[in-house]
Amino acid sequence: MRLTPRIALGTLGLVATVLVTACKKAEPRKPGEWLVGYSSRDQSAEYTARLGDAVQARAKERGVKLVFVDAQADAQKQISQAENFISQKVDVIILNPCEVEASSPAIDRARAAKIPVINVNSLTKAAPDCYVGSDDEQAGILAMEAIAKKLGGQGNVLMIHGIMGQSAQIHRDAGARKVLAKYPGLKLLDAQTASWDRAKALALTENWIQAHKGKFQAIFAHNDEMAMGALLALERAGLKKDVYVIGVDAIAQALDAVKAGRLDATVFQDAVGQGRGAVDAAILMASKQPFEKEVMIPFQVVTRENVDAFLKK
Amino acid sequence: MTLARRFILDRNLVHRFGIVAVLLLISGLLAATTDSFATASNLTNVARQVSINGILAVGVTFVLLTGGVDLSLGSVVALSGVVCALFAHPGEHALLVPIGMGLLTGGLCGLLNGVLVTRGGIAPFIVTLGMMTVARGLALILSGGKPVADMTPALTDLAGDVGPLPIPLLCFALVALVSWVFLGRFRLGRHLYAVGGNEPAARAAGVSVPKVKLFAYGLCGLLTGLAGVVLAARITTGQPNAGQAYELDAIAAVVIGGTSLSGGVGGVLGTILGVLLIGIINNGLDLLSVSSYYQAVIKGVIIVGAVWLDRRQARS
Amino acid sequence: MLRAVQLTKTFGGLTVLQDVSLDFRPGEVHALMGENGAGKSTLMKMLAGLHRPDGGEIQWRGRTVRFANPHDALAQGIAMVHQELMPIPDLDVAENLLLGLEPVDAFGWVDRAELHRQARHWLAALDTDLDTRQPMRRLSVAQIQVVEIAKALARQADVILMDEPTAALSDHEVAALFRAIDGLRRRGVAVVYTTHKMDEVFRLADRLSVLRDGRLVHTAPAAELTPSALINHMVGRELAKVFPPVVTTPGEVVLEVRGLTREPAYRDISFTLRRGEVLGLAGLMGAGRTEIAEALYGLRPATAGEIRLRDRPVRLLSPQDALAAGLGMVTEDRKGLGIIPAMSVQHNLTLSALARFSSPTGIDASAESRATAEQIEAYAIKTRDPGQPIGELSGGNQQKVLLARALLAGPDVVILDEPTRGIDIGAKAEIYALIGRLSAAGKAVLLISSELPEILALTHRLLVLRQGELSAELDPRHTTQEEILRHAMPR
Repeated sequence: MRLTPRIALGTLGLVATVLVTACKKAEPRKPGEWLVGYSSRDQSAEYTARLGDAVQARAKERGVKLVFVDAQADAQKQISQAENFISQKVDVIILNPCEVEASSPAIDRARAAKIPVINVNSLTKAAPDCYVGSDDEQAGILAMEAIAKKLGGQGNVLMIHGIMGQSAQIHRDAGARKVLAKYPGLKLLDAQTASWDRAKALALTENWIQAHKGKFQAIFAHNDEMAMGALLALERAGLKKDVYVIGVDAIAQALDAVKAGRLDATVFQDAVGQGRGAVDAAILMASKQPFEKEVMIPFQVVTRENVDAFLKK
Repeated sequence: MTLARRFILDRNLVHRFGIVAVLLLISGLLAATTDSFATASNLTNVARQVSINGILAVGVTFVLLTGGVDLSLGSVVALSGVVCALFAHPGEHALLVPIGMGLLTGGLCGLLNGVLVTRGGIAPFIVTLGMMTVARGLALILSGGKPVADMTPALTDLAGDVGPLPIPLLCFALVALVSWVFLGRFRLGRHLYAVGGNEPAARAAGVSVPKVKLFAYGLCGLLTGLAGVVLAARITTGQPNAGQAYELDAIAAVVIGGTSLSGGVGGVLGTILGVLLIGIINNGLDLLSVSSYYQAVIKGVIIVGAVWLDRRQARS
Repeated sequence: MLRAVQLTKTFGGLTVLQDVSLDFRPGEVHALMGENGAGKSTLMKMLAGLHRPDGGEIQWRGRTVRFANPHDALAQGIAMVHQELMPIPDLDVAENLLLGLEPVDAFGWVDRAELHRQARHWLAALDTDLDTRQPMRRLSVAQIQVVEIAKALARQADVILMDEPTAALSDHEVAALFRAIDGLRRRGVAVVYTTHKMDEVFRLADRLSVLRDGRLVHTAPAAELTPSALINHMVGRELAKVFPPVVTTPGEVVLEVRGLTREPAYRDISFTLRRGEVLGLAGLMGAGRTEIAEALYGLRPATAGEIRLRDRPVRLLSPQDALAAGLGMVTEDRKGLGIIPAMSVQHNLTLSALARFSSPTGIDASAESRATAEQIEAYAIKTRDPGQPIGELSGGNQQKVLLARALLAGPDVVILDEPTRGIDIGAKAEIYALIGRLSAAGKAVLLISSELPEILALTHRLLVLRQGELSAELDPRHTTQEEILRHAMPR
């Protein structure tokens, strides 16, 4: 297609219309009300969706006006969303980053525009003004320590990674490896990615059962979705009783499975705590009050013994 | 003509020796380098894992044969799985209801694709790209963004085995067999090739082009629905974010199998070979404990290499 | 200048060209003659770098050359105008004509004004004034052909190979092409050219070479040959009678057309067609002949008027409707609307009549194979086996498959649009005989043809179109080619 004046004009017109409509959407703000932008990593994943819900709930509680967008796991999209926040002149941006490197430009843009940024739940290469989250390395440490304790420091372990290159994957892996280094009797048999996806973890575990049947005693999955996949594969092969499975996040299904005695354990990441922490920090920053540069919400290991407390949350 | 003779005369199969060679080569290598590949339980395992991609690939073969494309497979898998799971809570409905609803959802998405392509005259790429996002969105809306759990064991048992054979494999085999017979022996099947081979000429020869296309997209959707139900049974939940990029694996399998992206050439036998090749690569790389980074590279190289070998051999 | 030495080529075990040696000289128009499948196109494609020889060699200016592809050949000055035209439909005429040769301005942008000026220059050399700004898609086959020839001219080729350049051209356009070829000859270009039209060869060629079954059987200066001697060399036998006598007496009216109109192609067309009758439709290119045929067959329905079959009005909105009503058609656009190239001969042949072989359990494969075998024999279709892709067949054999396809559906009315275009004399004779048989079998035939001798000899009645209107109804036994042309020429 050649670019004729008619097409060019038409395109311009279309763009203009879209822009005008988009601008109209931003309702006028009441005086004294803070405007905060929140970009969620992926509202279709259970944990980040819960985190998003917690942010929304806390914003409502504290009377903050929230612009809520979903990056659908696309860092590129997240950068554009940050740019939109800047042009909407929000007071603070809360970012739930998609990726360590690729989401960094979003932080740089915001800082260049002198808008304070809070990272929630995971880190980026570029440093934000404030980080509210849980130390993912700690999650890896907690999970692998649980495995070491269960196996008495002796045995073979398999690890299922999240999407390679994401902050949670990198740090949970690092934490787990720190523990492994402490126990010479604990051997990492293999580690592969299943991209946070249940079906992929299921297939991966099926293949592992073929390759290493009887040779592994524990599986650490970087999230519960994948732990559930691994659990299904082991149950179907009749091997669950021989293998200890632990995930991270404490999603509802995983808690149910722990309660039912199917899943051994999960590491609770406090979505509500993170969400509240992020919004509270945003208000402090917006009103120019002193704030903590790092707010750490601790992880907790959930087992059958303490699961009831978490099921209520 | 006997079935055996038709099989031998199938031009596609004769042209597919390149793929068969690659398939045998890789299988041979895996059998030699691992203890576990060439065991009955691992082969069953591969069969179970390829079934979902297999069902999708057979479905999209119909669409590709008409010269179209369907990019909405992965999203429709998720949507059908979610719908199926919503109707599958224990004690609520008979087993056929969730299965039927899953199939219906997929079929309707496919038909809508078909209507927009034929009546709307919009390019299949655009129509199905739209469906890809719409179906994903609907899956998220219906599930509230969270996996739909608590499925009746009657349904999740469908991911299990009958004797030594996984039920998903039986579904795949049945779908492939029926499709193969259909494409080779039925008028509508023949018409599919005609439409893909030269659409204006097919119309001039009295073929109802809209009917043929509507059928192709509808059937592809129905099979996508089936894949969604099988996936939900396999992972025991309806996952709104399941099936990401499944369309790419399915289309890759079809193209590896010799079906032309411009339509009119190819068939189900080739698609089965393509599905097996992709399945065996995935399984073998896990068995060999190849790092995730290298897996992606190796898989891509093998796929392109296999197609290159095959086309080179078909030309000579 | 260009020399073929013992060239040999085989396709899938079939030798299509064997030990052919020929010289092509500057300033000489060299016609390659022979039936379809004799190897003319293959020889040309080797010279143009489209095929590589399996034996023998090509010598260019005294040196042995191997062309990897057509670009190699073109770089050396050898251009080919294809039988199957391959323009880029969405680019305009000038862009197609000067593809790869676009003039650029100081900034490296395509200089569009200059582009169109050059394109008009080359078209003028062919005595044509096409609008160089219209997209290729809108052009007729004849116009595309002219652009393709101009394209070769623009590339300053020393050798121009033309495969059937006049097959789709009207007389006016042929005359323009011949003037252009004369110009090429004066400039010392070697022209190699194939055709089926006898009269043309003797008007144009300096030298004639005849191929039969892949071998060179004769080569001589045109002045030393007579048309009948040439035919003898081509078919290897005397063609006692090319045209069968018209014998049948027409019966009752089968098809009646009243006031058929689709502006701007044609308007107010009314005629009747009887059982056993062969009705001719003559006219120049663009007079609306094909468009009327397409309206009758439901491909492009008319906007006004009535079609009655066996005294009942019918609505024909698609070829499906037409086939169901008992109308069949063989298109002039064999490649676009006829064959499905990747499909086998058998599947092409039975495509319109599949319902007959179908039952709830599928297609009856043995009945279909039997029917195909019968048709292949009845039409003397030359194919390795019924499973061979139709795209690999010669044009004449493809045409016979399409005829068989249309007739297998059992129509009462058969529309034949240029059924003998681009096919050899042997196949033409077979198609003439077939038209006689159709008429004898009580079919009503509407025959569209640009070849006046053909239409005069085969029809019972003759309609002449002029610019979308019926201008005359003539009795072929009492008229002449001149009279037809007088009615066909625009006023």
